[in-house]
Amino acid sequence: MTADAKNVNILVFACRWCGLIGADTAGRRRMELPASFRVIPVECAGYVEPDAVIRAYASGAAGVAVLGCHIGGCRFNDANHPALKRLELLKTLLDTTGIGGNRLLLGFGTAHEYHQWADTIRAFHEHVAGLPSMASWLPAKQ
Amino acid sequence: MAGNRKTILVVGGGVAGISAALDIAAGGHRVHLVEKNDDLGGQVAKLDKFYPTDHCAFCPLWTEIRRCKESEAVTIHTLSRVETLEQAEGRHRAVILESAPVVDPALCIYCGRCEAACPKGAARPIWEHAYPPVYCIDRERCGDCRACMEACPTKAIAFDRDERKITVDADEVIWAAGFDEVSLAPMKEYGWGTHPDILTSLEFEAWKAEAGDNRGKILRRSDRAVPRSIAFIQCAGARDLRFLPYCSAVCCMHALKQAQWVKRRNPAVDCVILYTDLRTVGRDYYEYALRDFNGNGVRLVRGRPSMIHPLPGGGIAVRYEDTSTGRREIRKFDMVVLNGNLKPSLPSRPAPEARPERGDEGFVSPTAVSCGFVMEPADVTESAIQASSAALRSILGTRG
Amino acid sequence: MTKTGVFLCNCYGEIGKVIDLESIRKRLEADPAVDFVSVRESLCMPGDAAEARALVCGRGIGKVLLGACSPYGRMEMVRLALAKEGVDVRTVRAVDLREGCAWVHGKDPAGATRKAANQLDMELAFLQNMRDSKDVAVRIQQGALVIGAGPAGLSAACGLARLGFPVHLIDRGTSPGGLLNMVTRVYPSDVPGPEKLAALVAETRSNPLIRFYGKTKVASVRGYAGDFKVALAGPEGKTTLRVGAVVLATGARLLFPQGLYGYGKLKGVITQMEMERQFAAGKPACQSAVFIQCVGARNAERPYCSTICCPLSLKNAMRIVDEIPGAKATVLHRDIMTPGSVLEAYYRKALRMGVQFIRFDADRPPEARGDGQVSAVDVFDAINGTTRTIETDLLVLSTPLVADPESAALARMLEIPVDRHGFIAEVYPVHPVETRNDGVFICGTARWPVSSDQAVAQGEAAAVKAASFLGRQTVPALSMSRVPGTKLGHAEADASACTGCGNCVAVCPYSACKLQRTGNRSVSRVIKVRCKACGSCASVCPNGAMQIPEQNYRVTGEMIRRAFREVP
Repeated sequence: MTADAKNVNILVFACRWCGLIGADTAGRRRMELPASFRVIPVECAGYVEPDAVIRAYASGAAGVAVLGCHIGGCRFNDANHPALKRLELLKTLLDTTGIGGNRLLLGFGTAHEYHQWADTIRAFHEHVAGLPSMASWLPAKQ
Repeated sequence: MAGNRKTILVVGGGVAGISAALDIAAGGHRVHLVEKNDDLGGQVAKLDKFYPTDHCAFCPLWTEIRRCKESEAVTIHTLSRVETLEQAEGRHRAVILESAPVVDPALCIYCGRCEAACPKGAARPIWEHAYPPVYCIDRERCGDCRACMEACPTKAIAFDRDERKITVDADEVIWAAGFDEVSLAPMKEYGWGTHPDILTSLEFEAWKAEAGDNRGKILRRSDRAVPRSIAFIQCAGARDLRFLPYCSAVCCMHALKQAQWVKRRNPAVDCVILYTDLRTVGRDYYEYALRDFNGNGVRLVRGRPSMIHPLPGGGIAVRYEDTSTGRREIRKFDMVVLNGNLKPSLPSRPAPEARPERGDEGFVSPTAVSCGFVMEPADVTESAIQASSAALRSILGTRG
Repeated sequence: MTKTGVFLCNCYGEIGKVIDLESIRKRLEADPAVDFVSVRESLCMPGDAAEARALVCGRGIGKVLLGACSPYGRMEMVRLALAKEGVDVRTVRAVDLREGCAWVHGKDPAGATRKAANQLDMELAFLQNMRDSKDVAVRIQQGALVIGAGPAGLSAACGLARLGFPVHLIDRGTSPGGLLNMVTRVYPSDVPGPEKLAALVAETRSNPLIRFYGKTKVASVRGYAGDFKVALAGPEGKTTLRVGAVVLATGARLLFPQGLYGYGKLKGVITQMEMERQFAAGKPACQSAVFIQCVGARNAERPYCSTICCPLSLKNAMRIVDEIPGAKATVLHRDIMTPGSVLEAYYRKALRMGVQFIRFDADRPPEARGDGQVSAVDVFDAINGTTRTIETDLLVLSTPLVADPESAALARMLEIPVDRHGFIAEVYPVHPVETRNDGVFICGTARWPVSSDQAVAQGEAAAVKAASFLGRQTVPALSMSRVPGTKLGHAEADASACTGCGNCVAVCPYSACKLQRTGNRSVSRVIKVRCKACGSCASVCPNGAMQIPEQNYRVTGEMIRRAFREVP
């Protein structure tokens, strides 16, 4: 891993259903993934609010991924619909403020099969690794 | 609640059996759930996707399987059969024969060392989403070297374990054995078995599965090339007085699901469904079929093929009459998927006199309590309804 | 501060070969929030599992953290087993160090160890900052309300009563039976409708647990699963009931084919119901009958198949051929919908009896002709490609079942959704008679067009589902989860911070958030029984008043803060 890779911190909010079952199966298949991501399991992607995402960037995350079920496949009766809408809106906000909406990955339904999970994580890692450092956005170290 | 605690035997651990077991357990009664395979879930758990949502098939069923496993009122017997079933003192006395798996699920920690050690590839997980995940040894591939036993850290592996016989006195029996595929080899016109690219729809489902070896890619089985065209043949062997006279109810929607999924993955593939009556009875099914007509590209052709055979230069010829034009066509397809070869499952045990009465077409007759495909061709939703209905009738009792 | 007991599993080296468990153990032992760290060879094996349980009991700790394998595997079983030692299962948290870490980062042991350390820290933060949303025990009212006394409602009512529950069965008609009362023969058994229901109807009279209210409707419903307060409006005025479960079996109506195929203009053009009436009065006076399928169905306006019309026409066509000497019957169809074994056999029977079938395509429908009285039907035969004329003095139009507007109104009262056709939505796919609102069940044609046999089966299904709910005297709200295990908790609004904006009310998929007026303010209140802890309300709350105490903002904030902390 290069020195740059050390700053590829990715925070993944994943629902306990489609979001994480792919991760589990990828693990069972021993698929090698970069160790740059941390997972916060949630009941539903609907739990994830813009404030949490922004907080993640402020705490050192270079990229945030929110993984949930397909639209129409949410266990909690489409609680993921408003989630997707508000997070898409957040992307626009991130673009406007210069942080970049491309630091937020929304995967609704794309991560429930193991190779999709693995591809998603690897691709996002590569993508974030190629973005300029977040240093200018972070508060000075205490 | 009124009444004493009953014991009910449910034969079959697929959608129907699981649903019935959960309803009976929730009602305060005990269930013995007998399943011939190494885990619950049946045919439906093997599917890649469900219609009409096109969502992955295992997840909703997985929740119910887990509930069954965590329920204290449900005793699950896998790798098991009802060996004998007799009447004794007004109840059903069943002897359940439990084969002991080579890998003890109570001790297997799913570390995978047996798989790594096995030179024949005989050690594998029982299925992708088993809860808890467990390995098994495929006896047909096993070379008897016992390397797996040495590798296993918890001593979970033992060959030649004894079978167990468990006697259960049940108040009622529910038959929920589901369906099996019937070999289409006798029906020469469909060409099944003559070419790797002529498959049944369940074979195609596994072949194209997202979690399968091809990672959801649509490929020919013969050479793994991308097919340019796929024909889906409905009523293959079904609604046919020479073979299976009945309609399997699920095949039209199943073909639509597969064809639409192929188009979604690879819009360039020409998908044609050859059908007789497009049976889209059920919630939102007709609208699901409509997605074809409006530009998605799955072509629906009304006509039954008379001949399907491999061509010497490659590909498969399908001879059929297109009833909308009245013309007979011979068209070449890269793959042919056959739908319709489903029959109610016929376990070989217990002895015939202990098995439930069946009608002419092989479905369990109303003299016994049954649910799911073994009673009448049914999809997941219908099976779940019938299972709850069977649960009620067995709780209330069928005698007097 | 309650300390946490930590168990780390080596999994016979599967975890330990990649992750440096020793360094993690040292780090955790230095954490003031940790009571002890126990590294085990295999937490799920009997020996280690027993020792772990003893340690939890012995130290009397209320919080446990596991670092083991997958939450979809044996680790979950260990978690549940530990929770039985007097520890609340929600305070046993776990990190996946095997499938989620060691097995996917095998080539980067340093990175995997850092990740493991961070993830364990995060869960420690969860345990230290989680609060308890306090469970409530719902006392289940023992009775049930069944709305609608057609085949589905009758079946549900009798099922529930036989299981020992008092049932209030209401119908807007004078007596039970619904549409089936008018059917002289029900397919495929050919038994008259009233006779088919006779046993069920008799039971509503004889079973003391069933109380039937004729000409009665629901005026209002309040409450939730286990405790519904219902006001009925009947001939004797208002009645109030308190029931634990509600079964909606209000049926559907048949579409009137006004303006189609000469209906209303030509004599001899009738509906299937009118056909029934002719049979009831004796033999229909006709020499030929033509049945047209899919009238007003499977079109742009009603893009669905109504299930019963094909078998209905087969039944009536066979009757005509059988009862009227020399009469002919022809069925004009687009597809014959007789799926399964029983119905397909019924179709073959019609073929054997000489019923004729002609297929037409949707874009070239048949045309009825006549001068005051129908005399012929022209149809383009889609199979042989010619236009055929069938002389007939009777034309029967098969129209679909359509949703009854009263059903939709009731659904709104019961806070359950209807689909775009007006039929009531279920919990798809394996809970077909259950709805989004726990305690409210649906069956019969109010749910979707089905045959009377299917409606009866659905009524039985609704009965057994409702009964298993009613059978529990009290139910903890935390247990009313749609997923295995208990809920994480329930959302809660801080009344002092809530501004009554209503975002939560709008977003909740279960209608669990309600605005309540207190004084001159509106404040959000969560119906715990309905809340599934999805977190939607918390994420749309503009000022943080609404939170799930177990996974509150501080929990998430701390977890985020610790996610990428340097690990020395």
